[in-house]
Amino acid sequence: MNLNPRLAKVPLSHWLAVAVVIALGLLPISLALVRLWAVTGISPVSALAMVRDQPVAMEALRFSLLEALASTLLTVALGIPLAWAFGRYRWKRLQLKRALLFLPFVTPPIVAAVGFLALFSPDGLIHRLGFDLHAESGFIHVLSERTGWEEPGHFVALVVAHVWFNLSLMIRFVEPVVAQLDPAWEEQLALLPAGHALRNRLRHFWMPVLGPATLVAATYTFFFSFTSFALVKWLAPSANTMESLLGEMGGTAGIAGYRVETSLAVLGIATLQMLLMLVMLVLAGRFERQHSQVLSMHHERANRSRHGPPSRRWALFVNGTIVLLLAPLVSVVIASFRVTTRSGSGFTSSWTLEGWKRAWSGDLSTVPVMEALTNSLTYAGLAVLVALPLGYAVASCLATLRLQGRKRLAGFLDSLCMLPLSMSAVMVGLGMVAGILRWFPGMFTFPYLPVLPHVMLVLPFVIRLMVPAIERIDPMFAEQASLLPLSSVAFWWHARGSFLLVPATMAASLCLAFSMGEFGATFLVVRVGSWDSLSILVDQVASRPKFDPYVFPTAMALATILMASTLLVLSINERARAWRKRHDV
Amino acid sequence: MIVMRTLVMLLILLVTPLSGCLEPLEPITADADGDCELLKPGRDSDGVLRLLTYDIAAFSENMLGEFTKQTGYEIELIRTNDAGGILEQLLQTQQAQQADLAIGLDNTYLQTALNFCLLQPHNANLSGIAVEALLPYDGPLAVPFDQGDVCLNYDETRVDGTNLTVPTSLWNLTEPAWAGQVAFPSPVTSSPGRAFMSATVDYFEHDEDEATDTFDWWQAMADNDAIFTSGWTEAYEIHYSGGYGEWVEGHLGDAAMTVSYCHSPGVEAFYGGNWTKSTSLTLPRASFHQVEYAGVINGAAEVTAANAFLEYLLSDSVNRNMPENNLMKSVLIGATWPETDGYAHHADVPSLNADISNERMADEMEAWIVNWSEAIQ
Repeated sequence: MNLNPRLAKVPLSHWLAVAVVIALGLLPISLALVRLWAVTGISPVSALAMVRDQPVAMEALRFSLLEALASTLLTVALGIPLAWAFGRYRWKRLQLKRALLFLPFVTPPIVAAVGFLALFSPDGLIHRLGFDLHAESGFIHVLSERTGWEEPGHFVALVVAHVWFNLSLMIRFVEPVVAQLDPAWEEQLALLPAGHALRNRLRHFWMPVLGPATLVAATYTFFFSFTSFALVKWLAPSANTMESLLGEMGGTAGIAGYRVETSLAVLGIATLQMLLMLVMLVLAGRFERQHSQVLSMHHERANRSRHGPPSRRWALFVNGTIVLLLAPLVSVVIASFRVTTRSGSGFTSSWTLEGWKRAWSGDLSTVPVMEALTNSLTYAGLAVLVALPLGYAVASCLATLRLQGRKRLAGFLDSLCMLPLSMSAVMVGLGMVAGILRWFPGMFTFPYLPVLPHVMLVLPFVIRLMVPAIERIDPMFAEQASLLPLSSVAFWWHARGSFLLVPATMAASLCLAFSMGEFGATFLVVRVGSWDSLSILVDQVASRPKFDPYVFPTAMALATILMASTLLVLSINERARAWRKRHDV
Repeated sequence: MIVMRTLVMLLILLVTPLSGCLEPLEPITADADGDCELLKPGRDSDGVLRLLTYDIAAFSENMLGEFTKQTGYEIELIRTNDAGGILEQLLQTQQAQQADLAIGLDNTYLQTALNFCLLQPHNANLSGIAVEALLPYDGPLAVPFDQGDVCLNYDETRVDGTNLTVPTSLWNLTEPAWAGQVAFPSPVTSSPGRAFMSATVDYFEHDEDEATDTFDWWQAMADNDAIFTSGWTEAYEIHYSGGYGEWVEGHLGDAAMTVSYCHSPGVEAFYGGNWTKSTSLTLPRASFHQVEYAGVINGAAEVTAANAFLEYLLSDSVNRNMPENNLMKSVLIGATWPETDGYAHHADVPSLNADISNERMADEMEAWIVNWSEAIQ
């Protein structure tokens, strides 16, 4: 394909953007490692070797692996039939159902955490179904009795929350495979002797077909469960993952002459966590390449029509799952209006507006909700303003390099720009605290500090959305625009910019939503500074001693506002997606 | 794998040269006499008083607004996570302080702050402060503003003399009957946990058994399946069966005893309609008198405003409301717990608190924490 000369070269500004993005990904965490190295006098490699001498870290590693494995297995077990049925049949309100199935993945983690807390409360739905975290009755009690496991409640709650969070990954990767699968394959197999028995069909057909997509989803599920923070903090407070341990200790790390042991522990754990995450991402990338090579594509709508509407059993399963997925979010809203008060040795629950009143006025030392919301929106807005042009410039550079045939260089730079993806949110926060604030204490008074980690975390998504959007633009438009007497800005707009409005809107809304819900990195940064975002405020209020019965309703009211604002922002994304589909942009 | 190796190599290449050229700043410390030089302000004076504090419930908008009305100084809060966060931020910004007044350092952290020259002399009048609040520190660098005693709390319905008996020694808690029944917040990450561990150092230094020390006891507690949590909240809300945690989501209630404040049962009663099943174990030297301090930061830009706020913080109208607003006791002479809903009735007073100096805590805390961590493994 010939490129228009005006778009054939990578401008200097785009190279600079690539350099800035790579530096943003590498520099804070590198500075943090250097800082910890300098404070402890021990290199990251030596600290890594010392991790096995830290029982707390080893326990966190064991717990991380165990809960991530359990979460992955359960997600796959529930996700495969869900994605299969959802991809195979003709569903009413398909887009709405798909959006609802994706909803948990974009819900702010702190909202999900308090939502599950509300569900498990004695007043909540799950508790009424026999899911008693006290292990005094119901399913948890039976599990505890039969296995001798003393406190399975928190672990089970965490795994259930992870399944809730990651089911959308199964839908994202497996459903399109089922929906677009050439039905002739299945029909041909049915004619063969091996296709008569269900077991054989599963072994010789469905496993090879769905295997790679399932592996990709499973690897990402493991990755996200392994690096889970807000859910672990709230649902399994007695245990630590590597991530939550870093979150707990990271704020203290990197101070010369003070708690050097903590700095050493953080250095070792952070190095180990980073290596493990790199391995997981490389595996996910490998499975993803396999996944993209497997199938022939077939028209989805024709396939669904061919299989017809779902049976009652499948409809109940899929619709029931969607209702259950909404349960924690509904619980947040309900819990914001409920208060449990003591009267003597008993408890009574009643309806109240006090939580909302306190959230609105900023009870005691917390900031009012509007101030926190303004902060969150400011951070998110600034993150978009920085990430969008940077992401576009990098994406344009990568797309141009590919079109020039320099695919290896493009791939290499792409990997470097994706580096923040291989770091969890808490690791990014550690980069801020030990890497930036410890070296440059003047940054403590910089009011927009949380924007930096947010930009780091959203940039890979912007680039991932922009690259294919740029590559999809027909070069003919550039050819035609070049024939007209246009300024360079007008030429860019007609050849490229106007075609990127929709993907840019989608990227912006995703960035806004992600930034508003971001918790891990900000949690670490606010330990040593005062940057109150709405997600942090929910955590702060919910963490207060609850002698006062209105603490929890206040936290729930704040969580409801965070959830509503995030969903509002995401609805812009859905509208942009729908518009693009209608206009085939 | 090529990408991964490349990334690892890049990180190593980036980190290795930087480690040689970037040396951390040496912190400023007090001289042999404990004296510090007065540091230059870390920022320009702008008429805004910046308070470095944690989520102290007493600082309502009204309370801060009243100060602004009285003095004309605007207030800006810089909030950290907890008392440890205040110390850490002060240490990090030691040579370019951004706040003027640090509020919330307790006596387990204060001496470290003084050793690192983080505070400067104040002008506040201490004549109205009770002797007990000045016991841990009465010098010119920090002002006590609230206080409370950290001690073990237990559930009276379980420690009823039949199922479990009220301990007469901390060693009783290592007996089989108490297996898995006590929840401790970690001294590494929790201020009450730190305070209680300090108390146990003194307790076991004064018991009759000279062959064992506090870390032997902690090891015996760990062997007896004691529950260790990172913070007070997990210990009290999730594990302790005697407190409000019962109606908090995720509550386990597996511990009949935990570390809290001796007046926590009073707070339980205050919010529970004069009813509580929690009470305190006030064994001699097994409790810790915790005092929280405010101090003008060495390197503050608004020293006059900071001193004015100290006076305001110690005023009757603000400080006497500490029990309701901050769930801690006022430091003013004659201050009492409120009588409302059994607050005062259920707020226990220990007969003898642990006697352990701030200087000793600053010198030995790091070693205690290392020993504690090893003991409970």
